[in-house]
Amino acid sequence: MNTVTTIAALLLFPSGLILLLSGLAFEWADRKLLAQYQNRLGPRWFQPLADVVKLLAKEEVVPEGVNRTLFIALPIAGLAGALTAALYTPLFGLQPAYSFRGDLIVTLYLLSLLTLCMGLAGSNTLDRFSLVGATRTLTQLFSYEAPFMLALLGPAVAAGSWQISEIADYSSAGRYLLLTQPLGFLVAIVGLMGKLELPPFDAPEAETEIVAGARTEYSGRGLALFRLGKGVELVVGLTLVAAFYMGGVANPLLWLVKTLILLLVMVALQALFTRLRIDQTVGLWWRYGALLVLVQWLIMVLVGLL
Amino acid sequence: MTTNTTSERFTVPIGPQHPALKEPGAFRFNVDGEIVTSATVRLGYAHRGIEKLAENQNWVQNIYLFERTCGICSHTHATTYCLGVEKLAGVEVSPRVSAIRTLVAELERIHSHLLWLGVSAHEAGFDTLFMFGWRDRETVMDLLEMISGNRVNYSVNILGGVKVDVTPEIVEQILAGVDLLEERTKHYLDVVSTDAGFLQRTRGVGVMTREQAEALGAVGPTARASGVARDLRVDAPYLSYSDFPVQMILDDRGDLEARFVVRLRELFESYRLLRELVTHMPEGELATRMPRRIKAGETVSRLEAPRGDVFYFIQSNGSDKPARVHVRTPTVCNMTSVVKLALGHQLADVPLILAGIDPCFSCNDR
Repeated sequence: MNTVTTIAALLLFPSGLILLLSGLAFEWADRKLLAQYQNRLGPRWFQPLADVVKLLAKEEVVPEGVNRTLFIALPIAGLAGALTAALYTPLFGLQPAYSFRGDLIVTLYLLSLLTLCMGLAGSNTLDRFSLVGATRTLTQLFSYEAPFMLALLGPAVAAGSWQISEIADYSSAGRYLLLTQPLGFLVAIVGLMGKLELPPFDAPEAETEIVAGARTEYSGRGLALFRLGKGVELVVGLTLVAAFYMGGVANPLLWLVKTLILLLVMVALQALFTRLRIDQTVGLWWRYGALLVLVQWLIMVLVGLL
Repeated sequence: MTTNTTSERFTVPIGPQHPALKEPGAFRFNVDGEIVTSATVRLGYAHRGIEKLAENQNWVQNIYLFERTCGICSHTHATTYCLGVEKLAGVEVSPRVSAIRTLVAELERIHSHLLWLGVSAHEAGFDTLFMFGWRDRETVMDLLEMISGNRVNYSVNILGGVKVDVTPEIVEQILAGVDLLEERTKHYLDVVSTDAGFLQRTRGVGVMTREQAEALGAVGPTARASGVARDLRVDAPYLSYSDFPVQMILDDRGDLEARFVVRLRELFESYRLLRELVTHMPEGELATRMPRRIKAGETVSRLEAPRGDVFYFIQSNGSDKPARVHVRTPTVCNMTSVVKLALGHQLADVPLILAGIDPCFSCNDR
């Protein structure tokens, strides 16, 4: 019985199929909302799903000069990382499928796995756009990662636990940490955008410069898996930030409302800003992002002392 | 146009096919990390043999041919050709014909500059400005369609006149459209000169000094953004520009921001001119009789297109076909500046520097 529920948890719910579909749904919401902000119509609701189905049905071209095994394995590893991270997060307002002390750190690293895989996938090819894109992807990873992590550790310290479920329970008890730790919340939400390479942090895949960045050589299944991974990461990231900072996600309705509000804010930021060059991204994170989150920590320490 | 070579070169090819380019042109940027160390350009991918073809068609057929040199400034090309042929034939057109040609030319300038605003914003990664700019551009597209029946190749000109007239209803619509566009343009000027995120990508980027602009032979708004006072509408007024003068818009900063500001401020001049034109439309015949054969001779015809100086050399040997027509478009003059300005900049700035001259590869290649 236990084995059956474990397999179901991995393949169907909360991880697995449902998560993939909700990733696509959130991707649609993101594109649709952005379109509305920009006075466009935007895609139909099934467009992301249709894109993925189309990509899966297409031939996967393995270009010359790549390590074939890596080329095929990297999208799978990236998606697997994002899906595994989902097991430890309170998705859909439910308790995480798995939980242990310190799973917050593991989850954050699993989320970075997708970015890392994408960077490696870009470096694996001989294509110039991919190489430049891979360099930018990894540069961006090193710039937002530390501030983003510190921003998510803020609530952990407040809750006195590095276990996601306990932090979520702590904030579900009516504690809106975005009011007590506004700087951390800001860094977390912008960090999530950096992680997902959404505008204005889309320099790694700036189409007017380097086509599709690290993923330029990918087609068919590999590209579909990377896109699914992005979608999953969007859901997991939104859930984490909502659970930590926005008073928890105690039930499915609260989860949906809070993640959508968060998405709305993120889409507004996407519509408002011009794409940053990669040096500007690094500058922004280390000059302002890191500083803001350190100020937040300083305040927390001072308040703790008093 | 290669500038230097380094031992270890990492070349990023932009073009002939690339998402940043809406038309084919091949650029090779050697980069050191993200910094461009040398650049080359190869053009000619959209060569259609228009000049040769013109020698096999009669004078009237060629209007339609030259109108298709460029998809954006189609009216400019047809007008430059017609003005040249009329000069060769010694035919005077009525002031009303000139006024209608000027009217369409200014509407075309508005449509071209708004299109450029959107494209450049997209190259910079500011898609919201792109979408809004193109939404408002529809206003002027509708006006052009109302006047001529076409959205792109207006086909307003005939030799010795124009095909369309401007009725009071059209005047009313133009005035309403211009009011709306003026309000929106004010907003865009505000955005490009105050939005901090956007200025990060444009201010101080791709600076072309006045000396450089003169040495590289830049024309049009690109040159005017570097402080070079060069505008044929002022320097050598044609059509109705001597009766309805325009003010030259200059900026001496020479960076990308200046190019945005110059083009947007030029729009205000166009709006003012349009209002004056439609309210003081001169009377006159819409067409003058033209001979089928043009007497032998040669002439030069120049016009200020939205992108700069368009130059036509027309030679006739007395038959019903031109002996030679040579076309030089502003993109040719401005292209060298891209290769020069890209050096030392980041790869991320290159698409914007390229877009900054408002390139048009197909009229460049003819």
